[in-house]
Amino acid sequence: MSTLTKFSAIPYTGPAPTNREPYVAVDGPAADARGAAIAAALQHPGMSQELGQDMPSFIVGKEHIVDVLRALKESSEFAFTMPLDLFGVDYPKRESRESGVGSRSETGGLRTPTPDTPPPARVGSRSETTDLETPTPDTRHPGRFDVIYQLYSLKNNERIRLKVRVADGESVPTGTGVFKGLDWYEREVFDMYGVIFDDHPNLRRILTHEAFQGHALRKDYDPAQRWLLTENDVARIIPKIDPRFENVDTDYERVTLNLGPSHPATHGTLRIVVTLDGETIIGADQEIGYLHRCFEKMSETHTYQQVIPYTDRLNYCSAIINNVGYCMAVEKLLGITAPARAQHIRLMLCEFMRIADHLVCIGTNLVDMGALTNFWYLFQPREEIYGLIEACCGARLLPSYTRIGGLAVDVPPDFLAKSQRLVDMMPKFINDVEKLVDRNKIFLDRVVGVAPISAEDAINFGFTGPCLRACGVPYDVRKASPYLGYETYDFDVPIAEGGDTYARFLVRMEEMRQSLKILQQAIDRGLPEGPVIVDNPYVALPPKAKVYNEMESLIYHFKLIMHGIQPPVGETYFQVEGGNGELGFYLVSDGTKNPYRVRCRPPCFQIYSAFPEMIMGQTIPDAIAALGSLNIIAGELDH
Amino acid sequence: MNVTRVRPGVVKVERTPLTVLDRLYLPQVVAGMMVTIRHLLHNLFNLSKLPIISYPEVKRVYSERFRGRHILTSREDGTTRCVACYMCSTACPAECITIEAGEDERTREKFPVRYEIDLLRCIFCGYCVDACPEDAIYMTRDYEMAIDTRARSVVGLRDLVVPPNFPVGPMGWRPYYGSIEKHGTAGGTGIGQQLRSAPFEDNAPPNPDVFRGGEAQ
Repeated sequence: MSTLTKFSAIPYTGPAPTNREPYVAVDGPAADARGAAIAAALQHPGMSQELGQDMPSFIVGKEHIVDVLRALKESSEFAFTMPLDLFGVDYPKRESRESGVGSRSETGGLRTPTPDTPPPARVGSRSETTDLETPTPDTRHPGRFDVIYQLYSLKNNERIRLKVRVADGESVPTGTGVFKGLDWYEREVFDMYGVIFDDHPNLRRILTHEAFQGHALRKDYDPAQRWLLTENDVARIIPKIDPRFENVDTDYERVTLNLGPSHPATHGTLRIVVTLDGETIIGADQEIGYLHRCFEKMSETHTYQQVIPYTDRLNYCSAIINNVGYCMAVEKLLGITAPARAQHIRLMLCEFMRIADHLVCIGTNLVDMGALTNFWYLFQPREEIYGLIEACCGARLLPSYTRIGGLAVDVPPDFLAKSQRLVDMMPKFINDVEKLVDRNKIFLDRVVGVAPISAEDAINFGFTGPCLRACGVPYDVRKASPYLGYETYDFDVPIAEGGDTYARFLVRMEEMRQSLKILQQAIDRGLPEGPVIVDNPYVALPPKAKVYNEMESLIYHFKLIMHGIQPPVGETYFQVEGGNGELGFYLVSDGTKNPYRVRCRPPCFQIYSAFPEMIMGQTIPDAIAALGSLNIIAGELDH
Repeated sequence: MNVTRVRPGVVKVERTPLTVLDRLYLPQVVAGMMVTIRHLLHNLFNLSKLPIISYPEVKRVYSERFRGRHILTSREDGTTRCVACYMCSTACPAECITIEAGEDERTREKFPVRYEIDLLRCIFCGYCVDACPEDAIYMTRDYEMAIDTRARSVVGLRDLVVPPNFPVGPMGWRPYYGSIEKHGTAGGTGIGQQLRSAPFEDNAPPNPDVFRGGEAQ
């Protein structure tokens, strides 16, 4: 409709692409002030503040990082108790520019200790100072890699970013002693960048396989290489026996059993190796990465628009939430917001997708326990939701519906009517499932008290989403840092107590009802009039009618396809509430058409890393029931 | 499922305590069976409304935006609209389009000598349609693309180009015109003309017989 009237024959006079200007975070000054307050309160010598970021940001010397993490966690004032993310970024040019700190030798022996000598002083204004006088980490460690920690404080609802700079071959002390959730993240950084974490309990590759050579996310890694994994290379996983069961003498023989990776109960390609004593699980370890599709590496070789179809394949049960999360991260970097109509449609489709995600989770979880009927009742509304998505964008599972700056096309005219019909029919199916299982003794025997996790442990592992709320922690990104106008809707965050499989079931059931409540309000408000994509030809393709008729639009069209969107230089993080928890995208732009780095924070990565701890001392059927309730989506887990 | 409000914005879902009757297990079995029987009876008396499609006898009707197999449209004189500008292959995230350009000796027009889409690589995102400045590539509602060898997944000009009078019925994802009445393609009875009379929201059912003209090589 009005998307067409926006383009006139006169040249575009809006903001031009500023790919040579650095990115300025909107909340930069507030973040700087808060960062200064944190630095003043902690008084830690190893921290130096980085200004102009979208959250309080510090560069920390690698020898101080464990102290800083612990201080931030244990500080009663700040209480950064949740490890949200840990990832690396590679800046090879930085290392060669600086005076050769860290050898770039590509030796296979990554575990060789590096000489602990201070780097040679640079010739320049800041290099005159010695280490002891002003320990500014950014001059002392001009290494190649940024290892970035992002912590969250439930108490103050704020985030913090810590950067450790390491050169090639250098190592970082492990933070697993402070946060259990850093275990898998450190393995991932080791796998992708070759950064060693000293004293890590189990530092082996996580996403790639044993025969893989090199580290895939380094900029100098040639992605065209192929590594063949043969049967002889496969590492034998022997789970560590839990100390509680180590000396328990039973009459049974200990058996090691492989669950998956190709097993109907694992819903995707997950492999769990368990050691059984009789029927009791006394040791468990997992292997992931079977569905690793190099999302982050592929993003670096594609334009910002081309990444959107790849995000579909992260959590394919709620693909539009991934689309929205990624697009909003890029929009934050560009400093634009989608039009009101697009935001409204995004919100509605996100809620539909959240319901679909929970329907799949509960439906398949119940199938695992033998309750097949529920599966049919829950998959019918899911089917209808996919029908609605298909009517909007032409694909059911992998919609790629959003574009940076808005949506690909407007919704069909009967969108609201169809949505209303869906919202009306859905409670019937949810209520039927509740009637079938909620008081059923067989179901309750299978779920109550199964695979519990305490709130402290869940936070320590970095749980988010329904699994965290099932422990009684009311953290929801939609409430904590609202986006898309969630703050204007009346809805509640459901929590439950116990943190067991039953609590997760209860939370998901209630969340679907809350989502329906949001949807009903959204339908009642009606769709705002206006375009569905921003009026900015450097970001959005002009409509075809203009492209065929006007030179101006044709040139914009051609430029955008060929040269892509070129955001300002900088980095940013944006988070949305996905079906499984906080889905975050961290973007680094170098001003070119391809992202320098796209980091996706997959919520179920953290949740799954706690799985062995949750099922210890339980039985195999319990483990299956628990796995279903965690809703591990392999596409998201393995990037 | 009882819900109590803890504080504004947060509700707590209470765990259901089992009554003595529930513990007996049988009453709940009966209650569960009642739900199932209600569904059974409801479905039995509404057989036509069953949410079931007896594929392949009955085919699902997808929306007019469905992203299925591609076609290359033709001008009224029968030549393909594609001018081999490589925009679609540049926009393609899966890198599945291969184009070789040639030049018409007589008209000095650029045209594709080779235009191949690897349907096994294609992720059906529709970016090629959005990128095309010539109204040349559309997607259809054809979703039955089963093949028995990998070589057959690569479809060329022979399979993709459709005649000028190709019907709108099986058309899927098309360039987004919005509500503008004229979009500047040449008049006549070409595909552009037909699209003008059939806007994006057109709900015509697909006609598979018309579409399945060109078999893969």
